Amino acid sequence: MLLRGVLVAMLPAFLLLSALWAAGPIPDWRQFPNDASMVGRRTSRKEQAPQKFREYPAWEYNNFPIPADAGVPGEWVFARFMYRAVPTWSGYRLINWTIDYPRSDRHLSAAVRRLTRIQARSVEEPVAAEDGDDIYNWPWLYAVEVGHWDLTDLEAAKLRDFLERGGFFMCDDFHGTVEWQTFEASMKKVFPNRPIVDLPNDEAIFHTVYDLDDRYQVPGEQFVYSHRTYEKDGYQARWRGIYDDKGRVMVAICHNMDLGDSWEHADNPEYPEQYSALGFRIGIDYLVYAMTH
Amino acid sequence: MFEFLFKYPAGVFSKGTFVLLGTWPRWALGLSIAAAVLAIGAILWKRRSRVASSVRGLRLAAIWGLQSALLAILLLLLWEPAISVTALRPQQNIIAVVVDDSRSMALNDVGRTREEMATHLLNSGLLRNLSSRFQVRLYRLDAGVQRIADTAQLKPDQTSTQIGKGLRQLADEAATLPIGAVVLMTDGADNSGGIDLDTVAELRRRRLPVNTVGIGREQLANDVELDGLDLPVKALTGSRLQAQVALRQNGFSGKHAKLLLTADGNILASRDVALNDAPEQVETLEFNAGKAGVKNVRARLEPLPGESNTLNNELTQALSVDDAKRRILYVEGEPRWDYKFLRRAAEDDPALQIVSMLRTTQNKIYRQGISNPNELADGFPSKPEELFNYQGLILGSVESAYFTTAQQQMIKDFVDRRGGGLLFLGGRWALADGGYNIPPFRELLPVTLPNRKNTFQRIFVAAELTDAGKKSLITRIEEDPEKSVQHWEVLPYLANYQDPGTPKPGAVVLARVDAGGTRLPLLVTENYGRGRTAVFATGGSWRWRMQQPVGDTSEETFWRQLLRYLVSATPSRVVASTPNARLEDDGRIQLRAEVRDTQYFPASDADVRANVIDPDGVAETVPLRPEPLAQGIYSAEWSAEKPGSYIAEITAKRGTQQLGSDVLTFRRENGVAENFHREQNRELLQKLAEETGGQYYKPSDVGRLPQQISYSEAGITAHETKDLWDMPAVFLAILLLKGTEWLLRRKWAVV
Repeated sequence: MLLRGVLVAMLPAFLLLSALWAAGPIPDWRQFPNDASMVGRRTSRKEQAPQKFREYPAWEYNNFPIPADAGVPGEWVFARFMYRAVPTWSGYRLINWTIDYPRSDRHLSAAVRRLTRIQARSVEEPVAAEDGDDIYNWPWLYAVEVGHWDLTDLEAAKLRDFLERGGFFMCDDFHGTVEWQTFEASMKKVFPNRPIVDLPNDEAIFHTVYDLDDRYQVPGEQFVYSHRTYEKDGYQARWRGIYDDKGRVMVAICHNMDLGDSWEHADNPEYPEQYSALGFRIGIDYLVYAMTH
Repeated sequence: MFEFLFKYPAGVFSKGTFVLLGTWPRWALGLSIAAAVLAIGAILWKRRSRVASSVRGLRLAAIWGLQSALLAILLLLLWEPAISVTALRPQQNIIAVVVDDSRSMALNDVGRTREEMATHLLNSGLLRNLSSRFQVRLYRLDAGVQRIADTAQLKPDQTSTQIGKGLRQLADEAATLPIGAVVLMTDGADNSGGIDLDTVAELRRRRLPVNTVGIGREQLANDVELDGLDLPVKALTGSRLQAQVALRQNGFSGKHAKLLLTADGNILASRDVALNDAPEQVETLEFNAGKAGVKNVRARLEPLPGESNTLNNELTQALSVDDAKRRILYVEGEPRWDYKFLRRAAEDDPALQIVSMLRTTQNKIYRQGISNPNELADGFPSKPEELFNYQGLILGSVESAYFTTAQQQMIKDFVDRRGGGLLFLGGRWALADGGYNIPPFRELLPVTLPNRKNTFQRIFVAAELTDAGKKSLITRIEEDPEKSVQHWEVLPYLANYQDPGTPKPGAVVLARVDAGGTRLPLLVTENYGRGRTAVFATGGSWRWRMQQPVGDTSEETFWRQLLRYLVSATPSRVVASTPNARLEDDGRIQLRAEVRDTQYFPASDADVRANVIDPDGVAETVPLRPEPLAQGIYSAEWSAEKPGSYIAEITAKRGTQQLGSDVLTFRRENGVAENFHREQNRELLQKLAEETGGQYYKPSDVGRLPQQISYSEAGITAHETKDLWDMPAVFLAILLLKGTEWLLRRKWAVV
C-alpha cells in the first residue's frame, strides 16, 4: 500500500520527465507567429488547402500504431487544437495539448464509426492556429487540458473566426477553480462579451442521438488509483457552453470531468466501463449536434 | 398608270371574273391558236434553207415565238374578251366613313394633327365624290363607333381605340342596312390587342370590304417607348426576381438613358441603358421582391432631351408577394457538414422551412424543423397526402432502397402530379452509388447516371459556372452579375464531388467541376411533369462557408436560391391565373382556376368562387364554372370597371371540404394605352384591308378611292361586263411584238 502511494506521488514527475525526453527541446513560443491582424481575410485556394496527416511527439504516447486506413479521408475528423500552454516556473511551456493524444482521438473515431452513420477518419488531425487557413478545414475542434492554455492573440482571433464561420469547439479535462480561471482568461480573449452559461438539460446537444438527462461526473484515469471522481476542488461536473447569436451552442465546455481519459482508457480493463460509455455518448451527442445545428 | 393601260382600276381585275363574250366555243380558240402556231412553225421550217444563215437556230425560234404571240393575241380579240364584276348600284348603297377620334389622332406629326389631316381629306373632295355615287354615313371611332353629322363633331380626345369593336358594330348594322363598303381613316393605334378573328370572319361573311386610309407617320421621330414589362405576378418574400423591359426608340440611337424600377415610391433597381437600333431592345433588371403584399411595380425610362412623347416612358404591373413559408422535406442518410450548413442557410430565409429527417445511426432518425411531435414520427411519409403537404423534397446521401416501392412511386407523383421540386444531392449513398439507377428515379433525374459505383470522391475540386449558370438567378451569389461570376472563380474548392453522369436532353447544366481535367456536371436542373428536379452532385459545399470570411453570404445565398427555385413554382391545390394581368381601357378579364383534390388529381366537382375586391375595397363574389373540355379547370368572365389594382381570392371547396384558395392580382389603367404605339400601324391596316377584300390607301391616293370602292359584293349590287379588247395595253402589246421582231430582223440583217 505504501509502495503504491509512493508510486502515485512520483507519477507526475515521471510523466514530466518522460515527456521532456520524448519531445526533445521545448519550442520557444516567442518565435511562433502571433499576428492576428490577417485573421479573417479572404485567402487563395492554395492557402486554404488542408495540412497532410502527421503525428507529433506527445506527452503520453509516441509509438502509437497508425491504422492501415489512415489515408482514407472521412466526412468527420477528430481535430485536436495545438494551443500554447501557460509557462511553468522555469519559463517553459509544456505540450498540454497532447494529453491523451493520439489514443483517445482514435478510440473516439472508432466509436463514431461503430455507433453512428458518420464516415469518420480513423486518425486525428492536429490543428494549429499558425498553419494558415488549415483550421477551417476541420469544423469540429477539440482541446484538452484547457485549464493550462494561454492563447496567443493569433490563436484567440483564429478560434473566434473559426467559430463565427460555423465551426464547433469542445474542450475538456480541466478541474477546479484555478484551472477554470486560467481557461476563462483565454476564453475571454476569444469572446470578451459572450457569456459562458450552464447548458440546461433540455438543450438539444444532450438529445441528438442519446437522451442524456442523467449525466454523472466522468473521472480521469486517476480514478483507478484514487477512486475519486473529482480532481482538485472540481467536485461537481459542469456542462457549460457559449451560444452564438442564433441560440446555437458553438463552444461546449466540459469542466470538472475527463472525457478524454474515458475515451483513451475505453480498452483499459481497470477503468470502469460506465465512464467510457457515458464519455462516448457525450462525445457523439456533441459531434452530431455540431453537424446538425 | 395602271388604269391608263388597262382601262379599269386594279380592283376590277382582282374582284372580277374573266369571260369571253364571243359565241364561238372556247375550245375553238385554243385549237385556232395551236393551229396558227404550228402553221407559222411549219412555214419557217420549210423556208429555213432559204433564209440567211444569220437567223437560224434559236434566232429562228425567237421569230417564231414573236409571230405566234402576235397571232394568239389577235385570235383572242376575235373571241371578245371581257371582265365580269359585281359593282355597287349608284345611290342605293351606304358607304360608312369611319374616322378615328382617339387621342393619338391629335398628334402633330404630318405638319398638322392627324385628325386635321383626316378632316382635310374628307372635306377637300373625298366626301363629295363619295356622295355623288353613294349615300355616305360618317362615324367617329374610339371605344366603338358613333354616327356623327359632319366632321365638325370630331374631337380627338377619347382615351382608347378599339377598331375591332367598331367594325363589329358596322358588320351588325350591315344586316339591316345596305352598307356597301367601309372607309376607315385611322392611325391604326388599336388598344384592345388587335382585331379579333371573329370580327374579321363576320366582315368576310358579309363580304363587307374595309378600305383603310393610313394617317400619320409610320415611324415617330425622337421617341423612346417602353414596349413591354414582363415580371412574375407572384413571388416569395425576399425573392430575387427579374423584370424584362422591352423598349424601342427612334432618333436616339447611341444615347444613354436611365431605366428605373420602382414599387410604391421605392426604387427597386436602376440601370443606365445604351439605346440601340434593334427593333426591340430588351433590358433585364433584377430586384428583390421584398416584404409580403401587393405591389405596383413600375418601369420608367427617364425622359431624354427633345423626346416627342414622354407619356409612353413607363409601364406598371401588379406583383403579389406571398409570405407563406414553403416547406421542404430533407431526407439525409448520414450526418455531414452540408446538412448543417444547408439548414443554417434556410433558417435565415423567412420564406423557407426545412423539415429534416436524419439517420444518425442505423436505427435512429433525428428530426428537425417539425411542426408537431407526430410529424415524421414514423419515418418517411407513407401516404400521398402527407408527402404532398411539402412543396419540395431533398434526397441527400440516402440509399434508394431506404424507400419502399410505394414510397418511390409517391416521390415520382410528388414531382409529376403534385408539381413539387425534387433535389438530389451528391454523397457516398447518393445517385449511382446509392442505387438510384432504377425506375422511377431514373426517369426523374435530370441526368443519366453512370452504370458503375464509386462515383463519389473525397477529392477537392473547383466549381465553375457554365454560360447558362452565368445567366441564372440560382447561381447569382452577388447582386451584380459580373461580380457574381468573378466570385465563382475564387470560391473555395468543394470538399468532394460525384460523377452524376450525362445531362438529359432538355436539362440545363448551371455549374460543373474540374475533376482532374474532366468536366463533370455539378448543378443540373430540369422540368419534370408539373414540377422540377435538380442534381447538386456534391456534399462538400460547406467549405464555401468555412473557408470564406465572416460576412460573406455567397454560400447561404446559393442555397437559398436553389431551395427557392425548388419550391417557388410549386402549385397549391388551387391555382388562380388570368391571361392578362394588365388591363388597358378594356376591363374585361377572364378569371381562371385550376383545382386539384387532396391527392392532386383534377377536381371537376368543386364549388369555385372568386371574391374580387376593387380599388375602393368593395367586394364582389364571382362564381367560376368548369370548362367542359379541361378537367379541373374553372373560369369566369368579369369586368373591372374602375381603374386601379384588384385582388381576387379564388376559393374551392367540395361539399364541406375546403380544397384551397389562391390570390390573383390584376390592374386596370385608363387613358394610358393611347400614349403607346402612336406611330401609324400600317401593317395592321394593310392586313385588315387584305383580309376583308378592301384596299389600303395612303392619304395621297384617296382620290382613287370613290371609284375603286364601287366594286364590292356587299350592299345592293349589279353585275357589270366590261370589254377588254380596246385596252391600250393590248395595242401596246401588238406594237411591242411587231416592233421587236422588226428590230431583231434589222439587227440580224435580214430586212
